[in-house]
Amino acid sequence: MQSSKIINYDYSVAKLFAIATIVFGIVGMVVGVWIAFQMAYPELNNLANEYGTFGRLRPLHTNIAIFGFILSGVWATWYYIGQRVLKVSMIESPFLMILGKIHFWLYLVGVVGVVVSLFMGITSSKEYAEFEWPIDIAIVVVWVIWGIGIFGLIGIRREKILYISVWYYIATFLGVAMLYLFNNMAVPTYFVTGFGDWWHSVSMYAGTNDAMVQWWYGHNAVAFIFTVPIIAMIYYFLPKESGQPIFSYKLSILSFWGLMFVYLWAGGHHLLYSTVPDWVQTMGSIFSIVLILPSWGSAINMLLTMKGEWQQLKDNPLIKFMVLASTFYMFSTIEGPIQAIKSVNALAHFTDWIPGHVHDGTLGWVGFMIIASLLHMAPRMFKREIYSKKLLESQFWIQTTGIVLYFSSMWIAGLTQGMMWRATDQYGNLAYSFIDTVNVLHPYYTIRGVGGLLYLIGFCMFAYNFYKTMTVGKEIEEEPHSTSPMAA
Amino acid sequence: MEMETIRELQAYGYAFASVFFAGIFYAYVYYLYTSKKSGRKDYEKYANMALNDNLNDTPVEKIEPLQEEKQKRSNK
Amino acid sequence: MFHWLEKNPFFFAVAVFVVIAYAGIITILPDFMNSARPVVGTKPYTVLELAGRHVYIKDSCNACHSQLIRPFKSETDRYGMYSLSGEYAYDRPFLWGSKRTGPDLMRVGNYRTTDWHENHMLNPKSLVPGSIMPKYGHMFSNVADIETAYAEALTVKKVFNVPYDEIDMPKLGTFEESSKIVLAEAKMIVDDMKSPEVKAAFARGEIKEIVAIIAYMNSLK
Ligand code: HEC
Repeated sequence: MQSSKIINYDYSVAKLFAIATIVFGIVGMVVGVWIAFQMAYPELNNLANEYGTFGRLRPLHTNIAIFGFILSGVWATWYYIGQRVLKVSMIESPFLMILGKIHFWLYLVGVVGVVVSLFMGITSSKEYAEFEWPIDIAIVVVWVIWGIGIFGLIGIRREKILYISVWYYIATFLGVAMLYLFNNMAVPTYFVTGFGDWWHSVSMYAGTNDAMVQWWYGHNAVAFIFTVPIIAMIYYFLPKESGQPIFSYKLSILSFWGLMFVYLWAGGHHLLYSTVPDWVQTMGSIFSIVLILPSWGSAINMLLTMKGEWQQLKDNPLIKFMVLASTFYMFSTIEGPIQAIKSVNALAHFTDWIPGHVHDGTLGWVGFMIIASLLHMAPRMFKREIYSKKLLESQFWIQTTGIVLYFSSMWIAGLTQGMMWRATDQYGNLAYSFIDTVNVLHPYYTIRGVGGLLYLIGFCMFAYNFYKTMTVGKEIEEEPHSTSPMAA
Repeated sequence: MEMETIRELQAYGYAFASVFFAGIFYAYVYYLYTSKKSGRKDYEKYANMALNDNLNDTPVEKIEPLQEEKQKRSNK
Repeated sequence: MFHWLEKNPFFFAVAVFVVIAYAGIITILPDFMNSARPVVGTKPYTVLELAGRHVYIKDSCNACHSQLIRPFKSETDRYGMYSLSGEYAYDRPFLWGSKRTGPDLMRVGNYRTTDWHENHMLNPKSLVPGSIMPKYGHMFSNVADIETAYAEALTVKKVFNVPYDEIDMPKLGTFEESSKIVLAEAKMIVDDMKSPEVKAAFARGEIKEIVAIIAYMNSLK
């Protein structure tokens, strides 16, 4: 402890994950843009034999985006924030240091396994849980290593109280562990019978039960990867970057418990009008509405943190990203509950409004938060100024335009299709054949593709900016206390 | 077990959860918002954990290393 | 008490876990006893149909197609009788899907034929101008994995007591017995098909993926 004056925070693991975040971000988004254009121009499906069809690529897109891009981002920020708010450096524990490195490399092996197996069409078909059991096991190992890392660091902390961000990281760890384990329960067929592929397995649950477990997972995996750790990020990076303490720390605590309790009851809204019991559906609806409270609690808390400091929104692009991110968070947490109202859901379910909703959350809230977080970290990790503010400004506008094009086209597409499916003529017969409802969507699919492309272009600008910061940004002597320094 | 009984148990479980957690929640709200006045502690100061997070900044609430604690005790 | 939780990471974690686990225990567990009962007349998939189901999963048809007819007139008019929980009793995993880029397929076996599927899978636009469904030419050259399908059927029979080999239910038997049944079943489909490639392969004893997936499509009623 005597030497605490000389030692510094160690960001080697955070850097590795930051780079992984950017690489997987680009890959995931390229695949996403590609399949978006496939919907508009189906010929694009057949350029790479079976490996290029929509069905093969869609799981690749979702998994690389969620478990590649977002999860790496979560870990990059954990290995950064964790040390700082607990006031302990990873260097002080060689064990945690090695564990962190193992965590990264093993995770990378897992991602390679995922990419190869999904290309080959090895999938369990459950959304966001497509991996077969050997990869599931690898993921559990990675997860446990992260858990040891979290609690190990907490164990040697100097700060007695856990900062609110750490709460959210712990919740992410526990929530995903529980959901993932239960949803992926399966019996490997080769080991029971001695026949067939060794990696094949069959779900422990059948039919309606399988659906319930899947959407309990599906909905909450979204919560515990798209929401919970991203809130952890904003509770640290927004106050730090702006130099303003959280508007109300008490409100942040209350929102935490509110979110934890309510979120898990809301999964039933994915199964409205299906064959799951009515009361599960009704509860799913009601709790989805209640969910607005804790979600907006956090978001408003963040916006009010900027109280009296709104000029920073003009001067600092990172603040701009974060404020828009919380605005998109509010937007998608009101849109979601609206979709969960039974009568709205009857219209919206199975249509393009749903991917539209997912993407204003992921592109607007999650994507922007991760971008802002990494850029806040960069000057501190590399001891250099951010390479270009101008580039960052134009990136902001390009990406925002992309998001707007994305969700507005998907709104129109979803509502149009939903209305056409149920439209009847004067005799009560269906007015449109199915293909009519596909053909009208062509322009919207094209606009959506363009929106996605803009976002991708913006992301590549970010990658370039980050790379330049890392290599040629102007060196800085002292760590900036709040606002991140950037060259014009 | 009959489905009827299961449904009943479910409903009880659910009602219990709602009341129990709501109760705890409001107690917590009360606790949080009276903490400062009653001199227990000021929650808002924890926000500084993010702002003053250099390795040599003083922690908001320091953890007592085990040895110092022991020493203190033996000093008494 | 509250403060104690805030500074004690272990008990804090336990508290979080209890709060998030409770919802699952109440909403999900109890229904496991209820909804798994099959509706009268629902039968487990034959091995060939299962192999087709695997093809369906391998190419993620469920990314664009649902298998869940909701109880609205507009849906029952379009797709047939709405879905009942018991009809899915043998679906592992469930394939309800979450997006209808293409139409629901829950009862497609009632209104589409082998011949129609053959042309449609090869080139959807030839039958439905403006279709945005991909072409699935590779199914005419890839061989279906019957062995893994058999392994799955045997596994669910052993582990979950799925009633294979019972009266009025599909026969499974040993792998050799099962292979014979599969060939007989496949023959009926191949006979209705035109592709010389598929027919030639079948003469060699090979069952192409397209045959299996058509068997599966035809079983959806
Ligand atoms: C990109 C999304 C997409 C994927 C992936 C896809 N389909 Fe389709 N499918 C469609 C669309 C759109 C239609 C409606 C136009 C048509 O009939 O071609 C359709 C129609 C169908 C139909 C006709 C149903 C009817 O009622 O007329 C069948 C059968 C079908 N698909 C089977 C499959 C199978 C099997 C797969 C997987 C190998 C698959 N589809 C993958 C989009 C898709």
